[in-house]
Amino acid sequence: MPMPVVVLLPPVLINAVVTSVVDSSCEATVAHGGQELTHLGELRGPQCNSAAVAPLTSAPLAAICALEEGLCQTAAMSVQVVAAKMAEVDLKDVPTGKHLPTDSPVTPTSEGKSLGRGDPHEAGFSAAAAAASPAAEPSAKAGEGSLGLLTPNPAKMPQASAMKRPDPQQNGGEAFVNRDGTVAEAPRMKKIQFADQKQEFNKRPSKIGRRSLSRSISQSSTDSYSSEMPALMALRKRAQGEKPLAGAKVVGCTHITAQTAVLMETLAALGAQCRWAACNIYSTQNEVAAALAEGGFSVFAWKGESEDDFWWCIDRCVNVEGWQPNMILDDGGDLTHWIYKKYPNMFKKIKGIVEESVTGVHRLYQLSKAGKLCVPAMNVNDSVTKQKFDNLYCCRESILDGLKRTTDVMFGGKQVVVCGYGEVGKGCCAALKAMGSIVYVTEIDPICALQACMDGFRLVKLNEVIRQVDIVITCTGNKNVVVREYLDRMKNGCIVCNMGHSNTEIDVASLRTPELTWERVRSQVDHVIWPDGKRIVLLAEGRLLNLSCSTVPTFVLSITATTQALALIELYNAPEGRYKQDVYLLPKKMDEYVASLHLPTFDAHLTELSDEQAKYLGLNKNGPFKPNYYRY
Amino acid sequence: MSESAGEAKSEAKQASKEVKESENVAEKYSAMTVSKNSEMNMGDLSSAFSAVPTHKPVKKQIQFVEDKQEFSKFPTKAGRRSLSRSISQSSTDSYSSAASYTDSSDDETTPRDKTQVNSKGSSDFCVKNIKQAEFGRREIEIAEQDMSALLSLRKRAQSEKPLAGAKIVGCTHITAQTAVLIETLVALGAQCRWTACNIYSTQNEVAAALSETGVAVFAWKGESEDDFWWCIDRCVNTEGWQPNMILDDGGDLTHWMYKKYPNVFKKIRGIVEESVTGVHRLYQLSKAGKLCVPAMNVNDSVTKQKFDNLYCCRESILDGLKRTTDVMFGGKQVVICGFGEVGKGCCAALKALGAIVYVTEIDPICALQACMDGFRVVKLNEVIRQVDVIITCTGNKNVVTRDQLDRMKNGSIVCNMGHSNTEIDVASLRTPELTWERVRSQVDHVIWPDGKRVILLAEGRLLNLSCSTVPTFVLSITATTQALALIELYNAPEGRYKQDVYLLPKKMDEYVASLHLTTFDAHLTELSDEQAKYLGLNKNGPFKPNYYRY
Repeated sequence: MPMPVVVLLPPVLINAVVTSVVDSSCEATVAHGGQELTHLGELRGPQCNSAAVAPLTSAPLAAICALEEGLCQTAAMSVQVVAAKMAEVDLKDVPTGKHLPTDSPVTPTSEGKSLGRGDPHEAGFSAAAAAASPAAEPSAKAGEGSLGLLTPNPAKMPQASAMKRPDPQQNGGEAFVNRDGTVAEAPRMKKIQFADQKQEFNKRPSKIGRRSLSRSISQSSTDSYSSEMPALMALRKRAQGEKPLAGAKVVGCTHITAQTAVLMETLAALGAQCRWAACNIYSTQNEVAAALAEGGFSVFAWKGESEDDFWWCIDRCVNVEGWQPNMILDDGGDLTHWIYKKYPNMFKKIKGIVEESVTGVHRLYQLSKAGKLCVPAMNVNDSVTKQKFDNLYCCRESILDGLKRTTDVMFGGKQVVVCGYGEVGKGCCAALKAMGSIVYVTEIDPICALQACMDGFRLVKLNEVIRQVDIVITCTGNKNVVVREYLDRMKNGCIVCNMGHSNTEIDVASLRTPELTWERVRSQVDHVIWPDGKRIVLLAEGRLLNLSCSTVPTFVLSITATTQALALIELYNAPEGRYKQDVYLLPKKMDEYVASLHLPTFDAHLTELSDEQAKYLGLNKNGPFKPNYYRY
Repeated sequence: MSESAGEAKSEAKQASKEVKESENVAEKYSAMTVSKNSEMNMGDLSSAFSAVPTHKPVKKQIQFVEDKQEFSKFPTKAGRRSLSRSISQSSTDSYSSAASYTDSSDDETTPRDKTQVNSKGSSDFCVKNIKQAEFGRREIEIAEQDMSALLSLRKRAQSEKPLAGAKIVGCTHITAQTAVLIETLVALGAQCRWTACNIYSTQNEVAAALSETGVAVFAWKGESEDDFWWCIDRCVNTEGWQPNMILDDGGDLTHWMYKKYPNVFKKIRGIVEESVTGVHRLYQLSKAGKLCVPAMNVNDSVTKQKFDNLYCCRESILDGLKRTTDVMFGGKQVVICGFGEVGKGCCAALKALGAIVYVTEIDPICALQACMDGFRVVKLNEVIRQVDVIITCTGNKNVVTRDQLDRMKNGSIVCNMGHSNTEIDVASLRTPELTWERVRSQVDHVIWPDGKRVILLAEGRLLNLSCSTVPTFVLSITATTQALALIELYNAPEGRYKQDVYLLPKKMDEYVASLHLTTFDAHLTELSDEQAKYLGLNKNGPFKPNYYRY
């Protein structure tokens, strides 16, 4: 609310720079990904079939589960230690009568950093951060967004804005200021197209579940700028005394945004040395990168790199005299790929890979299947907490936000059809139902369909209701769910948008015919006008509504970043032999820990098992609390 | 139709009666169920009334159910436990009342000593009274109305007879719903012999009706332990008939065959097991390397789990509380201990009625889910003084202790939706200074010396089993899952299933769901060839990978 401009500026920036480079570089990536694709198709087919009848014990997941169970105990111990240490730190840091230890992380969220800066306990961190603090302040400052920009360092503000504002003009973009004060502009379109093309590149013939489950937020993290990442702060605090990453040399390749910066600084605070490159040539926030460099991190990234620059940056990141990485934090798999191709010897020293994106995880599984994976890797994309936040909770909010921002539609009494009732669909339905809409659902999977029925939604086929609905939302992960024939039969003023995967769900191409008139009424909003005067409101040209017309809350990104940090800690501290040369899911214990770090935000008080109860249930008091097949 | 009409009638009567007298509601309910068969002759009706169990037997029986659960207790993960509330263990309560009306007390001879012959001249069965077949048939017909999935399965597969040649020996609760399942199996070509998995849960008339149609049923209500094993033995040990499939609920049948007739296993193609306990036994066997046939765990199939826990409890929490206490939910402060499937259901239902809901949880992931669904996550101690209703569904023990009960406010309601009767420390309330007052069946007022009353429901046992019914629709899901598991195991090509415990294939799970969609007039969308290719899916499923969480 208080900072729409600040929040929305980065996309402007990014978009602005995205010009001619987009096409060429993207084609390169697409081609590059194409090979992966074909491989994939061959590999996945049989696997899927056999999985259908796979016994509990023989399913690959189950194997992982079995392993995990074994390691949980040890994992539990280390976290216990951390937690215990944490309790002490709490007492020292917050002596003001906090009787509930769970309370404490909530306070540090906003003040923790400033507190810590003056705090001798955090000397390790401040060594790095002190120099950086003026510059890092605007970005890493938690909670107060624009406030953080303005108050502590007013001198910085003009400079920052000076850096930002000229960009659109330089590139000939036009900036429009919307009624609500947000800045929307033509260049943004470009950027979003890029985002989608990137997704095209990620496309592969896979299970719908995987696909819809695995919308990687990281691809979009650029949208949101200021950070509110209480969990990382808490983690920093809890683990700082122990320095669980002391000696870790992390080479990272992610989007370089304020949120990532918080993550990097956390890793540094935990004792790691970091070198970083960008995983996307456009998503880097230059100021953040500068702040990080100033703070002593070796960062190789800027916005608008060329393909060549991109690999050069990665190479510079990896190839240093006298420094060999022992951990990899990757997003998209490019860094892993590069090291694998160019410096295979480096893998001897590497303790593990943490990979966040669908694409990267998939590449790892391929490597693993081919027997070429020579270090343990951790797939953080499929952890329970991250999945729920990326899909269900995030989309539940962004569907309303996206529709409101673009069309100002009122939802009460409107007839809405939601195509697909996976996690995203469930979120959309819940939100719309709560607003008083009449919601219809279409589904292909009978189990999800039955869930929709039991939740009180009419399950229909799209063509049964297409004439009467006011809004059509697709979230199937499929292609051509809304085809021209349906679009022809919709009523005047019907809103069509996509919350699913990529831009294939609505057959937008079929609307590019001479008899239809396209009229752009706002950024991201097109009226398509039929010869008889009927108008259809098409949002974001059929691309992802939640990425194009809404923001990703920092809280969601905080979940991701925390998961990454914990995965690094887990891999780095795992005793020899716990992880073999395979791809692992984050241990449930860690998954639960991510969740617990975020609970203080809600002032939620977790109940603890008594010894007697723990014994009765056959559980460790500190978790994991559920078997691996539990569905939540 | 007739069922709902009858029930409406009986409920109306019940309600009017309830105002006047505060007698045993359950008794009344069981008595009232007779009225829906009031077109029967009056002689039966009167005998039915006389046969209504008095207060004590009801209690006894319920205690037994609990004992049984204690017996099946095993130290396992909380998730497993709360996930796996097997309806089967509980059906005794709800059905015993329905079945009780023909439970003639005039005949004290055990069915073992009687020789009975059905209309076709067969005497290969052992039930209480074959003459009750006609009533049983009515019960079955009523059940069929809500089990359209099995009927459509019958229809779809009848020409094909996927179970032709299957010889199924079954050990489940013998209720009208099971009867529909058994008759479906027969319609699909199987031969069935059946026995009861619980000595109290058999509906005698239904057993009679099944025997009349030629299914060899060995079961009656109120068997002794000895009878129980005798029935199982008679079921398995026949001249010239060897089973090749087992449908078990609780693992007793499997256990018996394993002990007594290990040779029979050579011919067995597979075991289908429904209950938590039975599944656990199978996993133990499998771990010990002693499982010599494939077994299928239908308890953990997605559809069944969702219906047994989330959907079933979402409705029965309201029903159970209303029936027992007539409480109004709007604005009431409710604390729900545990946010698993059962807790999610309870929270959703109560929130929808305008209650203010608090949640306690031990698992941070579930706690975060509760937060995101808009519930305050608290510790029980923080809200215990202010809440009006406490509902436990943790699967844990001593979640509500005497200490907390002492601090509750006057008139607050305490009940348990979780597992077994351990969650509320009821034993601690049995102290001399506290007065217990039974105000209705299943409703106790516990009175503190200062006059404070706490309303304890079902003495801390499962509310949804004691004070509410299990909808036939839920049982239909279970029965359909069992039928499909049998078909799958029986028709599986050699080698698909080894000597291990398997989950129901996702494809079958999806089929169970799709068979139930017609009830909702739901129209499933089909993938076009192009779309299926794009997704890399078969047009007919399975649609999701195995790890998908729904």
